[in-house]
Amino acid sequence: MNKADFLVEIGTEELPPKALRSLMTAFAENLTKAIDEARLEHGAVHAYASPRRLAVLVEKLGLQQDDRTVQQQGPAVKIAFGDDGKPTPAATAFARKCGVAIGELSRSKTSKGEWLAFEVVEKGRAAAEILPGLVEQALTSLPIPRRMRWGDGDVEFVRPVHWVILLHGRKTIKAPVLGITAGNQSRGHRVHSSGDLTISSPGSYLDTLEKDGYVIADFERRRALIISGVTAAAAESGGSIIDGESLYDEVAALVEWPVPLLGDFDSKYLSLPREVVISTLTRHQRYFPIADAEGNLLPHFVTVANLDSKDPGQVRSGNERVIRSRLADAAFFWDTDRRIVLASRQDALNEVVYQHGLGSLFDRTQRIGTLATWLATKLNMNSDDVDRAAALAKCDLLTGMVGEFPELQGIMGRYYATADGETDAVACAIEEHYLPRYAGDKLPASKEGQVLAVADRLDTLAGIFSLGKRASGNRDPFGLRRAALGVVRILIECGLDIDLKALIAKAFAIQPSGKAVEADIADELYVFVTDRLRRYFLDRDPGLSVETFDAVMVRQPASLLDFDRRLVAVQTFARLEQAKSLAAANKRIANILQKADNPDGLSINQKLLQEEAEQALFSSLVNAQRKVRPLLAARSYAEVLNELADLRDPIDRFFDNVMVMVDDDKVKTNRLALLGELRALFLDVADISRMSIG
Amino acid sequence: MSSQIPPTPLSFQDLIIKLQQYWAECGCVIMQPYDKEMGAGTFHPATFLRAIGPEPWSAAYVQPSRRPTDGRYGNNPFRLQHYYQYQVVLKPSPDDIQEMYLESLRAIGIDSAVHDIRFVEDNWESPTLGAWGLGWEVWLNGMEITQFTYFQQIGGLECRPVTGEISYGLERLAMYLQDVESIFDLLWTDGPLGRISYGDIYHQNEVEQSKYNFELADVEALFNTFDHAEHDAQRLIDLDLALPAYEQMLSASHTFNLLDARQAISVTERQRFILRIRALSQSICETYFASREALGFPMLDSRVQGRASK
Repeated sequence: MNKADFLVEIGTEELPPKALRSLMTAFAENLTKAIDEARLEHGAVHAYASPRRLAVLVEKLGLQQDDRTVQQQGPAVKIAFGDDGKPTPAATAFARKCGVAIGELSRSKTSKGEWLAFEVVEKGRAAAEILPGLVEQALTSLPIPRRMRWGDGDVEFVRPVHWVILLHGRKTIKAPVLGITAGNQSRGHRVHSSGDLTISSPGSYLDTLEKDGYVIADFERRRALIISGVTAAAAESGGSIIDGESLYDEVAALVEWPVPLLGDFDSKYLSLPREVVISTLTRHQRYFPIADAEGNLLPHFVTVANLDSKDPGQVRSGNERVIRSRLADAAFFWDTDRRIVLASRQDALNEVVYQHGLGSLFDRTQRIGTLATWLATKLNMNSDDVDRAAALAKCDLLTGMVGEFPELQGIMGRYYATADGETDAVACAIEEHYLPRYAGDKLPASKEGQVLAVADRLDTLAGIFSLGKRASGNRDPFGLRRAALGVVRILIECGLDIDLKALIAKAFAIQPSGKAVEADIADELYVFVTDRLRRYFLDRDPGLSVETFDAVMVRQPASLLDFDRRLVAVQTFARLEQAKSLAAANKRIANILQKADNPDGLSINQKLLQEEAEQALFSSLVNAQRKVRPLLAARSYAEVLNELADLRDPIDRFFDNVMVMVDDDKVKTNRLALLGELRALFLDVADISRMSIG
Repeated sequence: MSSQIPPTPLSFQDLIIKLQQYWAECGCVIMQPYDKEMGAGTFHPATFLRAIGPEPWSAAYVQPSRRPTDGRYGNNPFRLQHYYQYQVVLKPSPDDIQEMYLESLRAIGIDSAVHDIRFVEDNWESPTLGAWGLGWEVWLNGMEITQFTYFQQIGGLECRPVTGEISYGLERLAMYLQDVESIFDLLWTDGPLGRISYGDIYHQNEVEQSKYNFELADVEALFNTFDHAEHDAQRLIDLDLALPAYEQMLSASHTFNLLDARQAISVTERQRFILRIRALSQSICETYFASREALGFPMLDSRVQGRASK
C-alpha cells in the first residue's frame, strides 16, 4: 500500500465569519497546488471549516515522492577540452563538484551545442517529511487581510492557534506547524465536549467530531442543516423565511452545532418601515425574518444558537430581549427623524465634507441637481422633480435612522420624503438614485431615478478624476469602476439616449477644480467608461468578439444606446453569407486608400467611369446611398447593413475587372473617389474591415 | 416559562465585587479607577501604557467612562454619557484566556450550558491613539456584553508580547442579569440600609451633565484647554516625563469629545484634531518605552519571582 488519506486540521479561536468560506477554499486550493508541485499523487480533496477550525482531507495521498533524475549542466564541450583533447580546468572543476571522474560525466546536446553533464537520481522523499512544509506553505498564502500575534510568540495567523492535526493514514506526523507540534488530537464544541478528541484516521474525522465532539465540521452540511432547521422553525409560526440567502453562509460560519430557535417580537413594531425591521433582524442580529404567504412580515424570527441549551427558553427570551431594545431604538429614530422635514436638513449638509477638494455634501447635491436637470432637458422630461429629488437625495444621511442603519440610505429618504408630502416621483427618485448598488443589482425603475442615478455617478467620476485619482489594479477606493458600469447599464438598459461625451464634458464643467474642461482628462474618463462598456457587452454576449466591439468603437457613437444598436446590427450582419467577402473588400479598400494617403474631398466624375464594372458599382452605390439615408436617420442599422450586403456582387466584379492604380491620374483619382464613398457608406455604421469573419 | 432566574439576581455592586474577586484570584493586580475623565477603560495607563514594551502585566479594574455625545438627558433607557466598564488586561495573553473569560461569566451566574455565548469577529482600531487589535465582541444570547481584543499596536509601537484586553459593559450585563428594561431601574444594592437603584444615584447626573455637554460647555474655554493641554503635553514629552504628559493628552482627548458634543468642530477640523492627539499619543508611547528601557524593564522578572497562581 503506497497511498493513504491525509488530514490536516488547524484548531483556532473563533475565526471571522465573513471570511471563513474563502479561508476554507483557499487552504484546500493552496494545499492541492503544493502537493501537486511536490509530485505527490492524490485523489479527491475536501475542504472543511467551522468557527474554530480549518481542515483539508486529501484522499489517497502518496506516501512517497517518485524518484527523479536531475541533470546538472557543466561547461560546454568546446571549452571543456583543450586542442590536445585533455580536460581543461573547467572540466576538472565540474567533475570535482559532482564528485566523479571526468569519464563518468555524460553529455547533453541542444541545438546550441554540446555540454558536459552529470545525472543524479534524486531520491523521492517520504510524504511525512515534506507535508508539514507544504501545509505551512499553503497557510502562508491564505487571503488574510490582517494577521495577528498572540501571547509572547512570533507566529502570525488569523486568530490564535491551539492545536494542529497532521494525519496520514493512521500515522501522526509529529512536526511543528504554526509553532505547534502536530498530533492527532482535535477538540469538540466548547460546551458539549471537553478535553481532546482522538482522530484515529482521516476518514473518521467528520464522524468523530460530530458524534463525540458536537461539531459539524462540514461547512456545506452545516449550512444545509441550518436551512432546513430555520425553514421548519418558520413553518411552526405559520410563515416562511425571507432574505435567507444573504445570511446562510454567515450563520453557518458562526456556529459549530446549529440549533434554530423561534422567537417573537411585539407586533406594534410592524408599523415601522419594513426595511427597518428586516435590517434590524438580519444585519444587526443575524436573525431570519419571517413573512406570511402574501409576503407581509410576521412578528417572529428564527435565530440559530450554537448550543443545545439546558434551558432553550432562556436563550429565546434573551434574544427576544435584544431585538426588543433594537426595535425600540429604531422606533425612536422613526419618530424623532420625522419631526424635522427632510428639506430642512440641507443646510447641515454643508457641514459634511464630501471629499477634500470637492466641497461639502451640499455642494455635491447642487452639482447632481445641475447635471440631472441638464439630462432631463435633453430627454424632454420635466426637470422640476429631478431637481427637487437631487436637493433632498443626501438629506437622509443626517437622520438618526441612517446613522444607525447606514444600509438604509435612500430607503429612509423615500419614507421621510413621502411623510413630508413630497411627490411620489421625488420620493422614489431619492431611493432609486443609489441603484445599482452592486454588480447585477436592479436598476432604477422611474425616469427620475435613472436620471438622478446617472448624475450622481458622473459627479463622482468627474470629481475624483479631476482630483487626479484613478482606480488601479484591485485598488478602487472610490468605487469608480462600479460607478462607470452603473452609468453604462442605466443608459443602455433604461434606454436613455444621451451623448456620453457631452455628458462627461458637462460633469467636468461643474467641478470646483476649475481646470475641469481640459480635453484629455475628459477623454480619459470617456475611455474609462467605454472600457466598462466593452466588459459589459462581452459579459452580456459571450459570443461577441473584441474585433466586433472595436469595429463599432472606432466610430465612437455619441449615445451608448446607439452603440448598442450598431453592435447588434454588426453581429447580425456577421452571420450573412455576404459578410466575409464584404469585410475583406472593406479591408482591401481601406488599404488602397491608405496607400494613396487617404485622399479627402474627392468627388466622382461620372463621365470618367470607363469600365462596365465601375459604372455598375457606381449605380449600385448611388442606389444604396439613397435607400440607406432614411434608415441611418432612424438608426435602423441592421437594415442598413442588409442593404449594403447587396453591394457584394458589384464590389467583387469591380475588383475582378478594374484596376485602380492606373497610370491615368484622372481615372485613378476618380476610382479612389468611388472607393472612398463606398467606404464612407459602410463606416456610417461600423468599420467592418476590422472584423474577422470565420 | 421554564427559565430558572436566580432567586436573587446580582446587584450592580455585587456584580463588580464578583468580578474583582474572580480576577484577583486569577492573579491580576486589582487597580482602582483612574482619576481623569476618559472615554473607555483602555485609556487607563494600566492598559494603554502597560501594553507597551516587554514587561509582563496583568490587572483588572472598574473605569468610569465618559462619552459626552452619548448623553440623552436621562430619557433613553440604554444610553448614558457616564457609565462603567470592567477592564481586564493580561500580558502576555495566556493560552487559555477565552476559558478564563468564560469562567468569569460562570462566577457572575451565567452558565454556558444554558446561555448561548459566542465570540463574533469585531476588530478594534483607534485612529486617535494610533492603535489597533483583533478580536471579538462577545454575545450572550444575541446581546453584546464584552469587547475582547488582542492588542497588536499601541501608539504606533508593535505590542510584544501581546496584551489581551477584556472590557465588560457592566450596565448591559447587569440589565440582563436583573432582567430590567432600563439602566435606571438597575438595582445598585439592596442591604440593611435600604434599596438603591442606578437611577437614584445617576439619573440627575445624566440630566444635568447632558445639559452641560450639549448646551453649556464653554466652547472658547474648551478650545483654550485643548491648546494648553497639547502644549503642556509636548513640553513634558520633551522633558521625558511620559506619565504627566499622558494625563495632559487624556485631558486634550476629553476636551475634544466635549467640543464634539457642542458641535463646535466641523468635519474637516475634526480630522485635524484627531491627528494632533495622535501625534501626542505616539510621542508619549515612545517616551514611555524609553523610560522603562532606561530603568532596565524592572518588571521583566516579576512572573518568575511571583507565587505560581492556580
